[in-house]
Amino acid sequence: MTLLRTLLVVVLACAADGALVLAQQPPPQQQDEFVPIDELPPQDQLPAAPLLVTAYSFVVLALFAYVVSVARRLTTVQRELERLEGDLKRGDSA
Amino acid sequence: MPKSFMPLAVVCGLMFAVSPILIADAPYESTMGLVQKIFYVHLPSAWMFLLGAIVCGIASVRFLFRGDPRQDRLAWAAAELVVLFGVLTLVTGPLWARKAWGVWWQWDVRLTASLMGWMVAVAYLLLRKYGGPGSDKLAAGLALFGMANVPFIYISVNYWRTIHPTTSVVPTLPTSFGVPLWFSAATFLLLFLLLLRMRVRLEEQRARVDALYLSMDA
Repeated sequence: MTLLRTLLVVVLACAADGALVLAQQPPPQQQDEFVPIDELPPQDQLPAAPLLVTAYSFVVLALFAYVVSVARRLTTVQRELERLEGDLKRGDSA
Repeated sequence: MPKSFMPLAVVCGLMFAVSPILIADAPYESTMGLVQKIFYVHLPSAWMFLLGAIVCGIASVRFLFRGDPRQDRLAWAAAELVVLFGVLTLVTGPLWARKAWGVWWQWDVRLTASLMGWMVAVAYLLLRKYGGPGSDKLAAGLALFGMANVPFIYISVNYWRTIHPTTSVVPTLPTSFGVPLWFSAATFLLLFLLLLRMRVRLEEQRARVDALYLSMDA
């Protein structure tokens, strides 16, 4: 019985000691903590150059395609207009 | 085309050639680094996107109340430019955001309202192309919603929580960042005006073709 009491005291003392040690430890690092982008490890950093090149290339190509599209539509309408005016002139003279 | 069109087109081409030199010479922004240089095409594109929506809306109002077909042609031309510059804004923005924010897209007020404004312009063009008779007035009504969205897009970043920069960034830019930005903005504005003139000219020629067909039928 005395042995049991002694064991119980030892276990409780160890548990209390463990709880005290745990309470003194710093809190675990939060997962949503802010980390500046330039302090990320290299494997987590995105290279900027491909994004920049893609953005500028897209702008240039889209503007060029639009200018070509409007110019082609304008040429087509201009040709149709000249053909119609020609037909009207021939109709008037005939 | 007016006589000033070709000289202005040459000036615009030269400005587009000089812009990359100024942008390359601009210093790196301290937190974002190289990717921040997307700013010099993203912001002018966004401004032209909003300007196009305003031009389209005002021309549509004048068309609705006065019935002037020239205003209708201007609105149609401007709507196409809203789609063009809207695409540039909505593509360059996410490319910048992927690096700066860590995500391609955020459903915040400015981004969502910009997407809505772009979709209104697309709806305008679809309505004009496939709407049949009377679609001009319906489309003009739609353009009013597009224009009403513009101030909302602009001020939204100041009133709602967002990770998008606020409107106070541009007025407080240092000269080294401001010069390439304003030069790029002037280049985009000149391009916008030239494209608008070209596109209006296309509609004028189409109107002449339609008038000739009608006179032949009569």
